[in-house]
Amino acid sequence: MRRRRWMAGGMAAAAVLTMAACGADDGPPTLTWYINPDDGGQAAIARSCTEDAGGEYRIEISLLPRDASEQRQQLARRLAARDASIDLMSLDPPFIPEFVEGEFLAEVPDDVAERVSEDVVAGALAGATWNDRLVAVPFWANTQLLWYRTSVAEAAGLDMEQPVTWDQLIQAAQDQDVLLGVQGTRAESLTVWINALVESAGGHVVENPEAEAADVTLGLDSDAGREAARIMSEIGAQGLAGAGLPTADESASLSLFQGDRGSFMVNWPFVWTATGAAVEAGTLDTELLDDIGWAVYPQVTEGQESRPPYGGINLGIGAYSRHVDLAYAAAECIVSPENQAEYFTTNGNPPSSISAYDDPAVQEAFPMADVIRQSLEQAAPRPQTPYYNEVSTGLQGTWHPPSAVDPDSTPAQSSEFITAVLRGERLL
Amino acid sequence: MSAQVAPAKGSGASEAAAEEEARKRRNRAQKSDRTRAESRLGWYLAGPAFVVMLAVTAYPIAQAIFDSLFRFRLSAPDERAFIGLTNYVVVLSDVVFWRVLGVTLLITVVAVAVEVVLGFALALVMHRAITQLRGLLRTAILVPYGIITVVSAFAWFYAFDISSGFVNTWFAWVPGVDENLNWFANMGTSLFVIIASEIWKTTPFISLLLLAGLAQVPTELEEAAEVDGATWWQRLNRVVIPNMKAAIMVAVLFRALDAFRIFDNVFIMTGGANNTEVLSLLAYRTSIARLEIGLGSAISVLLFVCVILICFIAIKLFKVDLAGARGEK
Amino acid sequence: MGLTTKQKVWWAVITVVVLVYALFPVAAIAATSFKIPSELDNGRFLPGTWSLINYEQILVGDAQSLFLSSLRNSIGISLIATAIAAVLATLAAYAIARLDFPGKRLILTTALAVSIFPVISIVTPLFNLWRTIGLYDTWPGLIIPYLSLTLPISIWILTAFFRQIPWELEQAAQVDGATTWQAFRKAIVPLAAPGVFTTALIAFFIAWNDFVYGISLTSTEAARPVPAALAFFTGASQFEEPTGSISAAAVVVTIPVVVLVLLFQRQIVAGLTQGAVKG
Repeated sequence: MRRRRWMAGGMAAAAVLTMAACGADDGPPTLTWYINPDDGGQAAIARSCTEDAGGEYRIEISLLPRDASEQRQQLARRLAARDASIDLMSLDPPFIPEFVEGEFLAEVPDDVAERVSEDVVAGALAGATWNDRLVAVPFWANTQLLWYRTSVAEAAGLDMEQPVTWDQLIQAAQDQDVLLGVQGTRAESLTVWINALVESAGGHVVENPEAEAADVTLGLDSDAGREAARIMSEIGAQGLAGAGLPTADESASLSLFQGDRGSFMVNWPFVWTATGAAVEAGTLDTELLDDIGWAVYPQVTEGQESRPPYGGINLGIGAYSRHVDLAYAAAECIVSPENQAEYFTTNGNPPSSISAYDDPAVQEAFPMADVIRQSLEQAAPRPQTPYYNEVSTGLQGTWHPPSAVDPDSTPAQSSEFITAVLRGERLL
Repeated sequence: MSAQVAPAKGSGASEAAAEEEARKRRNRAQKSDRTRAESRLGWYLAGPAFVVMLAVTAYPIAQAIFDSLFRFRLSAPDERAFIGLTNYVVVLSDVVFWRVLGVTLLITVVAVAVEVVLGFALALVMHRAITQLRGLLRTAILVPYGIITVVSAFAWFYAFDISSGFVNTWFAWVPGVDENLNWFANMGTSLFVIIASEIWKTTPFISLLLLAGLAQVPTELEEAAEVDGATWWQRLNRVVIPNMKAAIMVAVLFRALDAFRIFDNVFIMTGGANNTEVLSLLAYRTSIARLEIGLGSAISVLLFVCVILICFIAIKLFKVDLAGARGEK
Repeated sequence: MGLTTKQKVWWAVITVVVLVYALFPVAAIAATSFKIPSELDNGRFLPGTWSLINYEQILVGDAQSLFLSSLRNSIGISLIATAIAAVLATLAAYAIARLDFPGKRLILTTALAVSIFPVISIVTPLFNLWRTIGLYDTWPGLIIPYLSLTLPISIWILTAFFRQIPWELEQAAQVDGATTWQAFRKAIVPLAAPGVFTTALIAFFIAWNDFVYGISLTSTEAARPVPAALAFFTGASQFEEPTGSISAAAVVVTIPVVVLVLLFQRQIVAGLTQGAVKG
């Protein structure tokens, strides 16, 4: 008797659950896509893919915070709570290994993996891979270029057709009494700069990114690390990036670059769309737009190809999603070359798809598209380790402010500090 | 009860005594019935609030103490392991913790010291103000009290920020301030803005507590002192302040405990850069941002201990009578 | 009034000083909220051209969904947390002020202890518990911890209020032949209502102000309150500063505060001073 009642109860509960799982029943399943903030591009893609799906699924978007590390926090916290509402996520590549290790991501089916790794720039593919497996779907790939004011470069006598070095930029800033645009604020963008300098000097921030926390070896205490520290400290200590350097993020360096003392700046391609929009709105002169030039990221050692920063977004599928198959179908739709090209022209976020760069609309909106593609081929990702957050926050703590960086001691100290944090011996 | 053993002596007297005894007992029983009913009603009414308060604090802190004994990282749940007091050893042996504690104390002491003086001045102004002005003044100072701390933090941040701020332009005549002063690039200047915004936001609260204290000072005493030829300053020093010492102490303690938990302003303005990190932020970054639940819980527990210590010191050393001052007596 | 000219001048000066002190930072962020993007960096206090572009951005533009949903969350969650706290505190304070029972002091002491409790200490275990039982990123997931902020101070303020109420009226009403319910409605409610209202106002301010719970226990528009949303605003791309939108949103959420303060300054002051220092 008791047992029967228990069974009946169980069946009722199961029925309720099944009904709940089917959702509102009358509509197609809704996939929730957690997006990083942009200028509405991902929302547009979500709409067009919902249409293309022909009633198979609907994509709804949910906005994540602005700061990359905040985005990671929000997602990691939800996934640790086994949130089934996370179907698709726009993930910053450095955080992907941690998500894989925490079993937060659904596995990429082999056939999907094969399809989405075709026609993808090298950096983006590397950013979506962990332990030799594709773990996320490459979406868009970001990289920093060297932006310059043609007038300043001419006055400084620099031939921008040839690769330039950081030392040449420092020299030009000193001679011309102008300011360099770099990101020195204590945030993810500082790590981006440090990593690009170290990699361009031929080193690595982390030597063995796939190691366990206690065994991670840092490559900062090396010639490459010291060279990176020298460049950073020269720019910081001599005030070549202005007084705002210790709080300068991408947006602040852009305003500096647009100002009277703007000269050279390393920054993401959004600066082109943003400047264009400001000119259109009448808040900036058209002349400024004509004065802007672009080149591949500066070299650290003359003659040695630079390793520009690699960023962008890959799509991860939530491990607890109720519709993993549909989510992968949606992801494939989202990353189609057409969508990527459209996203680039409207939002300024460069495609990971090689063929998207050949789109005439892309070539028209971004005269520097080919330089971006080249930069992406050269780009070096930030250390891909499940402990990226510790490494990055540790770097930001020890290499800030740039004026206090000492080539002789900072690399060694930060190595020691980050190692101790990873071993659980120190607070971050 | 010992009253049951009634000694049997003379018969008549003893009967009367017994009757008296029985009446008393009935009375007591009735009274205790009423008392019992009253206390039952009391707990029925007050119980829910009591239980809710315990549930939202006692349970989590117990859980935090438990968690602090484990190595537990949310993104690697399988590696959870009991490690005893190791987390506390790590925290307490790290210079970072002590630096952060120092910064927190510095902010607390400076902010509260300035607030007491400023708040006292504001309280005096409101106390003395003629009726027409009183409403206006109170309304004005309630604005900082009611405003969201995060909003106030942004307001101060944007005012001082090197690119969007106007402070550098306005105060360029002050030595050391020019258009190239980046307030949020140095520890001293960042702390200055953080503390200033904290003072701005919370002085109204302290001044209202002090205003209530001022109202308690007997006017006769002040008048008598005035007749004796005491100056304004002497009256303030010898009559007013001694008479509201209790109110001042309570105000200071409450604000100190509040300032010690400072978080919002620092989070918004510097995020802990330039050594401006405070204890709450350290705990937040460790457990919420790094997902190191174990280590973060240890810091949380230590923060809790610090608050208790401050309270204990205030009550034992400075004899702050919280209950008395808060109306319980 | 019998003020000399000198005194009048003095009071005028003092009033201006206090007004500038209290309102200047608010004016500063309000001025920023009317600036167009290219003027944000010009180092001036007032905008050159006054523009509503930032308000459009948050009320009808791109930031609309983020801001309006957080506004809805903040209002809803704060109101519910305030209401629950007001009801529980009214019952408790009535018992403490009117009845004699063992444990009164314990309840008051507990309230005191809870009110000085460091929020950050309980946020981690709460986060952990919430994610297990599914309260993470929900309204109840914020309402419950908000009670730890609103309940203790409500109990203190209301106890102080209730102790001053002339309760003889209640008995008088009963003697006059009114039923208990009538006595309650006609005598007690009018006496207690102002105190409860004041308490609710102060509790609302506290809940409205919360930041730590807001950023730790939510992660989407489902429950994220305004202070947390302010910290997450974004510009046209994720690299652009949202200074203008944040300022505009800050002004919008400050308006209710100013309105409440304007309407009820007397009650708020009475509540804060009565609950705080007595005897």
